[in-house]
This record gives sequence, structure tokens and C-alpha cells, in this order.
Amino acid sequence: MALTVVSQSFIGLGRAQQKALGSPDLPMALIPHPFGTRSRVELKDIAAKCADDIARLLCEAALIGATKVAAVAPVAPRARLIEAPADLEELNKFYIKRRWGDGLIIAPPTREAVERMLRHTNREPDEVVATIAPGMGAATVEYIAIQGVMAGCYPEYLPVLIAAAEAVGASQFHLQAIQATTNPSAVWLLVNGPIAKWLEVNSGAGCLGPGTWANATLGRALRLMLLNIGGALPGDIDKATQGQPAKYTFCCAENEEGNPWQPLHVERGFSADANTVTTIGALGTWSMNMTAKGAEEVLAMIADTMQYPASSDYMYGGAPFIILSPQHAQLFHRAGWSKYDVKRRLWEQSKIRASRSKGSEFERMATGRRAELGEIGPDTMVPISEKPEDISIVVAGGAGSHSVFVPVSAHTRSVTREIVLTEGGAKAGG
Amino acid sequence: MPSTMQVYEPVAPCLTQPQKSRQSLDKLAGKTIGFIDNSKPNFNLLVEDLSQLLIEKHGVKAVIKQRKRSASQGLSEALMNELVSKTDAIITGSGD
Repeated sequence: MALTVVSQSFIGLGRAQQKALGSPDLPMALIPHPFGTRSRVELKDIAAKCADDIARLLCEAALIGATKVAAVAPVAPRARLIEAPADLEELNKFYIKRRWGDGLIIAPPTREAVERMLRHTNREPDEVVATIAPGMGAATVEYIAIQGVMAGCYPEYLPVLIAAAEAVGASQFHLQAIQATTNPSAVWLLVNGPIAKWLEVNSGAGCLGPGTWANATLGRALRLMLLNIGGALPGDIDKATQGQPAKYTFCCAENEEGNPWQPLHVERGFSADANTVTTIGALGTWSMNMTAKGAEEVLAMIADTMQYPASSDYMYGGAPFIILSPQHAQLFHRAGWSKYDVKRRLWEQSKIRASRSKGSEFERMATGRRAELGEIGPDTMVPISEKPEDISIVVAGGAGSHSVFVPVSAHTRSVTREIVLTEGGAKAGG
Repeated sequence: MPSTMQVYEPVAPCLTQPQKSRQSLDKLAGKTIGFIDNSKPNFNLLVEDLSQLLIEKHGVKAVIKQRKRSASQGLSEALMNELVSKTDAIITGSGD
């Protein structure tokens, strides 16, 4: 027997969650939104009404809740073909009206286009690769291909998208929190290995900006998966207060030639010639322009930029990313530092005094970090992550003195998965 | 050019199958209620007030509270099992 107390703006999300988890009729007691800013007196009034609702709902609930949720089947129904306008403009209106997209023009997912894409995997079209939170939609190979076609992906991109679905579906990625939060959580797709060159995924100048087909469409296809398979409809289920432009597309490759250390996928146990994708729950990209010539000086500026109190990383112990420009990576390398040395120095130098978090945010930090740091007082020095290894460093971009700090969404851990190619695969270009 | 074409519907199905069972409490009096505090601002205060009201006004025997480390993390399986074993109903929270 269970009941949820829900603030009114979250009713839609609450209902969708219950349905996705197999308990569509779980009772809800509603309270006003926003709730967290109410005074103590207001809270007493809210509690009085809520207590009566709880008493009524717990005793009158009829058919409620799943006692046992059926396991997700290994295969799912095939996608349905429907009649839609042949005119591209009218077709897009048809899709927009049904909220089947991201607001940009889509390419028609016809049977022929999807079949062309499916030739680039040996997996069956109805195989469930992952379930995508919060709607727990079945990301079958076919549904993944449909999103790829809509986003404009070339057919040979499919194995990358399948690996991306596996990564976002992994439990440690905690997609649920990324998809339904008020935070502006985007999913950054990072490609490693030779496939980046075969598919022409940009790792150099402007790699996070416009102008490259693979970067634009791969990142967009992942977003369409999160929308159409995960059900994260903006405003209703995706509760982001503002969101961010990176939620349209956010994809690049690592600049492995510009990296004096091991690239990310090798650091994570894959061979140098393996092809991988890594998904990262990214809250934004903080540009750091640093022309200083000394490694210590540049590192100090990065550590200083990482420190901001309104950060999930400090609140709960995060797993942030630093994108070093090749220039800065070489600077650190020439100083004799390993990648771990840089992580350790950043971890030490980016600690913040707990009192920089104010009011209830201080309380949240004290609760969130207690298990790791013990009782937290105003003068406790709080590290950005539990340990230095939790900071990830990659190299990307072209010439210039700009590196990027990428804070991450609460409790998400980036996930790397291997891209499995068919014989000939992406290298042959289809 | 034909006026229509065949395209795929892109929304994937959820394969979770709900299994319903009739569950409700006959009354609150004498029951033990569990609260999972989601650690959002003010929710601990609401839990405090609700606990008092459920006991004083509705005759609830006892309230057991568990506070999550953060809103976006679930309660651990061990703590959840313990809470389930000791309570007649569990109340959670969602929203801001």
C-alpha cells in the first residue's frame, strides 16, 4: 500500500511514472506548487488538508498498485506504419501536432529509409536494446533506427546510436533523474576510436558547434530517442525550468591526436582501436579562456571555475568533465603531469567552503555529503567529487586557449559502451 | 505525387505490464505509516506535521521516517524492505 504526495506542477510526471512502473492507479495527495519556499505557517495549513486527503485516499483506494511488475520482454512489437502527408511541410506539421519530435524539421522515417539503416547491424529489428526512462519505452533496434532517420543520420551511424541507447539505459547513468529534473540536463555523446574519423565526427575546431553532419545528427538522434522512446515531453515530463540549447544536439569526438595521455576509452579499459561512445549527463559548458603560460596558473584557473555553490556536483559529490584544448593538455603534459596528476590537483584546489551554500542548500549539501564527509559545518572544505578519479578529463577542440568545464547532473555517472560494427561496417561507408 | 505516404510512428511502447491487486486499508487507526522523505526543501517539515496529524487526528499508531540522500536517488533496497516489513502503508513525495 503506497501513496505519493505531489506538488501540483508535477501531476503529469507523477502519473506517467506510475504508469511506466506498472502502478497506474497509485493514489496521489496534491499540495500547492512551489512547495519548498512556503513559510512554516503555510506548511501547517497545507499539512492539515493533506492529512485528511491521505486518510481518505489510503482507505478508499480500490484497485491500486502493482505488487509485481512483469519483466520487460526481450522483444517488442514492430513499429507501426501510418499514413501521413507526403508533402514535407505538411508531414512536419503532422509530427509536430503529435509531439513526435524536437521542434526542428524531420526527415520522413519511411520503410525504405529505416531498412537502409537496419542493414548496418546484425541485431534483429525487434530486439530491445534498452528501456528508456522515464516512460520506460522499449528502445528496439528498429525504433532507434527510426529516430536516426528522423534526425538525418546516415545509415552507417546506426551502430553508434545502438551503443548510445545501451549507455543511457545503464543503471549508473541514472537517466530517470536526467530526463525528469528541473535542471537543464542534456546528454553529451562522446565518440572515441577510429570510427570517429570514418564517420567524420568532428573532434577539432568547433566540435561542439554547428557545421558537421555527424555531430549534429548523432546528437539529435539521441535526443529524439529520449523524447520519443523515453517520453520526456518538455514541460509535462521533462520538467526543466529553462533547459539548454545542448538538449537539441550535443555530440563530438575526442581529439585523440591532440591528447598526450590515454584517451577516455583506453582509460576505461578498451583497446586503442576499439570504437566507443560515452554518454554524459551534462548541465552545461563553461568556457575557460586562459592564455597564461604556466601549467600551475592554468590549473588554478580551472579549479577556480569549477567552484560554484549552486552545483549538483558539490551538493552530492559529482563526476564532472573537463574538456582540455590540445594546447592546455600539452601544457600540463610538458609540466610532467599525468592525467591523474591533473585530476588530483584539480580535486584538491577546487574544494569550497561549505558556507558558500546558503540556507536550505547548505542543509541539502550536509545531507548529501554526510555519508562521505561526516558532519558538515560552515568551514568544512567540500570537494567537487568523492575522489579525484571521479573527475574525467578529455581533449577536444582545435587551436586556441579555451578549455571547457562540464558540470554534471546529480547522481549520474558517465557510461562508455563499445560500438559493434557489422563486417565492413562504418569503415566501408555502407 | 501522391498526397500521402507511409511513415513510422516513432513513439515506442512501454512493455511494463501492470498487475493489479486489491489493496486498501480498512481504517488508519492503529496502523503504522512509513514516510520516505525525499530531502527536498520543506518536505521534512511536512512529514513532521503530517505525522503528528495522522497520529493525533486519525489514530495512527506510529510513523517511521526514512530520509533519502537526495530527491533523485531511490531509497536503498535494504532500507525499503525494512520499511515495507514494518509498515502498513508508505507515503512518498514528488515535486518542488
